[in-house]
Amino acid sequence: MGSTAKIQVNARNRAYQFEGDCGEKILNLGLSNAIGLPYECGSGTCGTCKARLVSGDIADRWPEAPGRKYLKLKKGEFLMCQCTAESDIEIEVESFVHTMEAGACVPSALKGRIASAKLLVHDVMLLRVELERGVDFDAGQFMLIQFPEVVGFRGWSMVNYQRHAESLDFVVKKQPGGKLTEWMFSHECEGLDVELFGPLGDATFYSRLGKNILCIAGGSGIAGIMSILSRAQQDGYFSQYNGYVFFGVRTMKDAFFLDELSDFSDSGGDKLEVTIALSEEEAPSSAMADYPHLNFDKGFVHEVAGRRMADRYKDIRAYLAGPPPLVNGAIGMLLQARVTTDNIRYDKFS
Amino acid sequence: MSKNQQICNVADIPPNGMKSFKTEDGSKILVANFNDGYYAYSDACPHQGTCLGEGFYDGAVLTCHKHLWQWDITTGKPIGLAEAPLERYQVEVDGGKLFVKAASALRMAVLFADISEATKTRLERLTRRETFESGSILYDIGDTTDDLYILESGRVEFRFGRDDRTSAAGFILRKGEVFGWAALLEDQPLRIARAVCVEDSTLLRLNGEEAVELLSADPESGYRVMRQLNTLITTHLTSSGRQ
Repeated sequence: MGSTAKIQVNARNRAYQFEGDCGEKILNLGLSNAIGLPYECGSGTCGTCKARLVSGDIADRWPEAPGRKYLKLKKGEFLMCQCTAESDIEIEVESFVHTMEAGACVPSALKGRIASAKLLVHDVMLLRVELERGVDFDAGQFMLIQFPEVVGFRGWSMVNYQRHAESLDFVVKKQPGGKLTEWMFSHECEGLDVELFGPLGDATFYSRLGKNILCIAGGSGIAGIMSILSRAQQDGYFSQYNGYVFFGVRTMKDAFFLDELSDFSDSGGDKLEVTIALSEEEAPSSAMADYPHLNFDKGFVHEVAGRRMADRYKDIRAYLAGPPPLVNGAIGMLLQARVTTDNIRYDKFS
Repeated sequence: MSKNQQICNVADIPPNGMKSFKTEDGSKILVANFNDGYYAYSDACPHQGTCLGEGFYDGAVLTCHKHLWQWDITTGKPIGLAEAPLERYQVEVDGGKLFVKAASALRMAVLFADISEATKTRLERLTRRETFESGSILYDIGDTTDDLYILESGRVEFRFGRDDRTSAAGFILRKGEVFGWAALLEDQPLRIARAVCVEDSTLLRLNGEEAVELLSADPESGYRVMRQLNTLITTHLTSSGRQ
């Protein structure tokens, strides 16, 4: 560690060279040099960041990563998000690679401390991380976070939105069998030092988008949507454009952020419509009385969205977030409604 | 697989639907119905190999569920976010049985996808099919830009610079990819990179002057080729422009 390596990436269209710390992940080194290497989850699951080793030595920091099932190991393929350079290396990426556009938030390694960890409902917590230095990110992006106690980075979307943010809020759902989240739900997290890398992800919202927005989220997927709503509210976006938000949970017991969503809906006036979809029960009348600015409906969130959107897909940009069946269901619905693919943005949490 | 191979019966394909089938060599082929026609493509998404049979098909447009690349089912041409065409197979239906055969590299080339059938056939006649061993240099910096190449199989890499001071300048590996397209341009008489086969490769070779002459006789096709050529050059030079 401490030594540096020269890395050459041969992409379909050209080659890139950069240098970096041998202990850093190859993907992170490329991205922090504003080179748009391919990735999706950044945390070893999706396989999108696969590359082939042409020469030199690498070390695999997570040989059990589920994303390795997409690799042809005999051909020397590896995941850039899990491997580090042990010497100068030359690698190959099959896709076109371009430098990041001017104005993009270039990701970097960050340090932070957990300022608070509050339960939102029985299996979901809101985590606030105070950063050593402020960071710029776009609404809808995520960070990779590593706890000292549990090895490996996880990707969580930011809930808040501000330029030069000095603290970041995340929603963490307890995953049955998930090492980190089980640890977090049974230990005191406040005061812990964490490492971060980001911001990442291109399911982002900008006010210059100039379209109506449709957000469909399930469970902790609402995090990035909150950031999008926050930015839209700050910029007065809903004075001009419509917003349709659908948030799916199983029952009222699993629902959170209802006060915040209600405030967004209130401040957005007629143009912002927020619907809570409960998949396993009818909404109790008390919920409707408590949240007059929210709609409640029964069903899977993408089905509820499909029903309520009816023919309101004109000039729309859709943001989807949640478990893969939800995202796939929503994509199918949007394609049927003739929403073009460049207007469908999502992060699949698996 | 260059011979006709039966992979299913017409009745196996739902009307305006699609289904994947395994071939003799273990690869998978996707067969789709659109109106009265049947179309067959490699089931592996040209992006990351995702099974296209698990994607969405609305009876005209196929969408890969992973990154929403899309294609016109009748041509395999990319639409929207897609950066590459589908690998096409020719289909023959005989007595309710459906046979497939790998399509020629020229017929898969996006550069020539929009031209008239007659001009496509004439272009096909102009091509020479050549095989090269791994390590062969197809052309070097400063060589004249006489021919255009279409990859059928194998892999070709490009390098800038001379002697041992060279740098990688991209590579191609998909059937139907075209390179050496300076042969179609005016005032670009010399190669600016070296093209090397890094695997045993089969290529279709097309003389630039002859191709331009042929396209001049069919200006509409010629215009379409030049439009595609512009897109190709732009893809190599700029980002996708997504925002």
